[in-house]
Amino acid sequence: MSQPTVLDAEAHRDLRVITQRGAQYGEAVHLVPVIAEELRSLCIDYPVCFTKDEQTGQFGLYALLGFGRGENLYLSGEHWNASYIPLHVRRQPFLVASQHNDNEPPRRVAMIDLNSPRVTRDSSLGEAIYNSDGTPTEFFKKMQGLLTTLINGAQATTEFIHALSDNHLIEAAQISITLDNGEQKKYDGLYTINEQALADLEGETLATFHQRGYLQACHLMLAAIGNINKLIQQKKARLS
Amino acid sequence: MNKPVTSIVILGGGTAGWLCAGVIAARVQKDYQTPPSITLIESPNVPIVGVGEGTWPTMRGTLRKMGIRETDFIRECHVSFKQGAQFNQWTTGAADDSYFHPLMLPRSFNDINLAPHWLAGHADTPFSAAVCPQDALCLEGLAPKQITTAEYAGIANYAYHLDAGAFSEFLKKHCTSQLGVRHISANVTGVNSTPEGDIASLSSDSAGDIAGDLFIDCSGFKSLLLGEHYQVPFKSCKGTLFIDRALAVHLPYPSTNSPITSHTLSTAQEAGWIWDIGLSSRRGVGHVFSSAHTSTDQAYQRLAEYAKQSGHTLDELTVREIPIEPGHRTKFWQNNCVAVGLSAGFLEPLEASALVLVEISADMIASQLPGDRAVMDIVARRFNKTFSYRWERIIEFLKLHYLLSKRDDSDFWIDNRRPDTIPTSLQELLELWRYQAPWDSDFDHATEVFPAASYQYILYGMGFATDVTTRGLSTALQKRAEAEFMHNTQATKQLTTALPSNRELLNKIYQYGLAPV
Repeated sequence: MSQPTVLDAEAHRDLRVITQRGAQYGEAVHLVPVIAEELRSLCIDYPVCFTKDEQTGQFGLYALLGFGRGENLYLSGEHWNASYIPLHVRRQPFLVASQHNDNEPPRRVAMIDLNSPRVTRDSSLGEAIYNSDGTPTEFFKKMQGLLTTLINGAQATTEFIHALSDNHLIEAAQISITLDNGEQKKYDGLYTINEQALADLEGETLATFHQRGYLQACHLMLAAIGNINKLIQQKKARLS
Repeated sequence: MNKPVTSIVILGGGTAGWLCAGVIAARVQKDYQTPPSITLIESPNVPIVGVGEGTWPTMRGTLRKMGIRETDFIRECHVSFKQGAQFNQWTTGAADDSYFHPLMLPRSFNDINLAPHWLAGHADTPFSAAVCPQDALCLEGLAPKQITTAEYAGIANYAYHLDAGAFSEFLKKHCTSQLGVRHISANVTGVNSTPEGDIASLSSDSAGDIAGDLFIDCSGFKSLLLGEHYQVPFKSCKGTLFIDRALAVHLPYPSTNSPITSHTLSTAQEAGWIWDIGLSSRRGVGHVFSSAHTSTDQAYQRLAEYAKQSGHTLDELTVREIPIEPGHRTKFWQNNCVAVGLSAGFLEPLEASALVLVEISADMIASQLPGDRAVMDIVARRFNKTFSYRWERIIEFLKLHYLLSKRDDSDFWIDNRRPDTIPTSLQELLELWRYQAPWDSDFDHATEVFPAASYQYILYGMGFATDVTTRGLSTALQKRAEAEFMHNTQATKQLTTALPSNRELLNKIYQYGLAPV
């Protein structure tokens, strides 16, 4: 159970955050939510696709790390074998919440999940959040910047996805792989850009897509799909 | 008589008119470089009857082809999902007398006829529950899909319950803004003919003469063009289907989050039956009855008793009385005029046949739209032949529900079994089915309005006995059938855990919407 708590310079002065990679930190996942802004970095290593939220049916943008629940093919021990690690992974155990006080506009506050295995009071481990005088450390400032990028990016990504959906540019992806033992595996619930529909865009829609950077994002996603082969190779390597 | 068909005029702005407009407009835009123009004339002061708040699964394809988002349709027409009909007290009238006509076909219906195997060894489970999972979904009030399922796709087959008034308005908006249908609000005051007897134009009180090459009469019970102008006779089927009156009422839900039944309820009464349709916003309930077998006062009493079961007092609500003339015109297409909807005919809403007839009529007009007046009479003959056949099949299928009843508590039910009220072709089929379960080859047309599966659901739901023992069933088929029954049990279990309630899914659609893919 996570226990998100608003960060406080007094109460959390001696908290430290372990920044290593590893399955024990909840990184054994096969899908990671990403923002469109990350596509340029992601497309070198990861397939990126849409999947629907089970509770709302809404599309989200995800990097694909494996083929089934709990399978992260990029992670071996404490090594994450990629040139770029998604922001959502790097921001742990921090999160942002919107705080509503009476008579005040809502404001964003940084929070920390006190139950995260990354959080410790052992001074020999990880990075401090606050300096001894209560000011934020360079590490925490970096994390705050990252959280801001994520939360703004999430909003822009939702708009991007709506634009795609409204213009019928999202289609179900059929991914099936054949393992060396001949076993066929089919993956459902993944969606990608409809390349033909993208090529057919014209006029005002095309101009808007170009202007907002959606066109480029679509092409980056299409290019990233090829990384599925990297995943398949990894999968085969682990099975053999 | 050579004249290209370049303009279509639809008279009437109810669901039939706008559905026709939408289906035909979408089709001609897709097919032709210069599609014919489509104009719909709607009288500003003719109220919409709003027949049939239940649809068939065909409506999903119809709306999709018109370019309508299912999410918009569900939100704006107070739609809920319908997965079939439950018939209560139809067979014996006892309190526990109930069966389902689900919308899913029996499992592997295209490969194997499970009915004889059910008759031979599984008759302790209701037929519909043994061959498809939908009884269970309906009984638990579950939706036919999940929020992650694409628009118009289903995990279980489904149709809709909709608010007919809202549906007309919704279609009007879509047809005029997206499909280029011209909308004229005026009262038609006269019909102007060509020397050959075709309709040249319609005169109106406020929009002058409206000319056209093909006129579609969607003017409702009045049947202004086909009935009044062309005097095409009406063929009553009251001798077979006795229902000729309806009392209708809207029942509010106790709260905005009340469960919504995911099927139509049909509860037999002493001289008719009561329909009960759950929309997202309210229930639509009504009593259709035979005026020869009961009085309006008595029918009102029955409806009041029914409403009372859910805590409603009928005297405090608006009850509408609607006269019904069961039957249809002897032909539907005369000269350059074709009637669709109530102007073509009407039957009691027992199997929600009204809107599906509009859909398939519009579809046939659109797909066979004559290029020139010269060939229109051929298309008209084909249309008349097809739809005469379809009306007869529907009448027979509805009659089946009555003649299988064993109720003898009133003359209505006893009279319904009198041989002189049963069409000969239906009598013949019933004879046939004494020794074989209904199958597609029992019927003439490749695409029947009601498939053989529907006949199976009604026959075996109502306890009809088919003797399948004369030649026995091969071991290979028996083995296959056993596997199907087992798989159905598994599928039923799996679906009942995976699907949300009807209300829960509708709430989510209001909040988030369904994705088009």
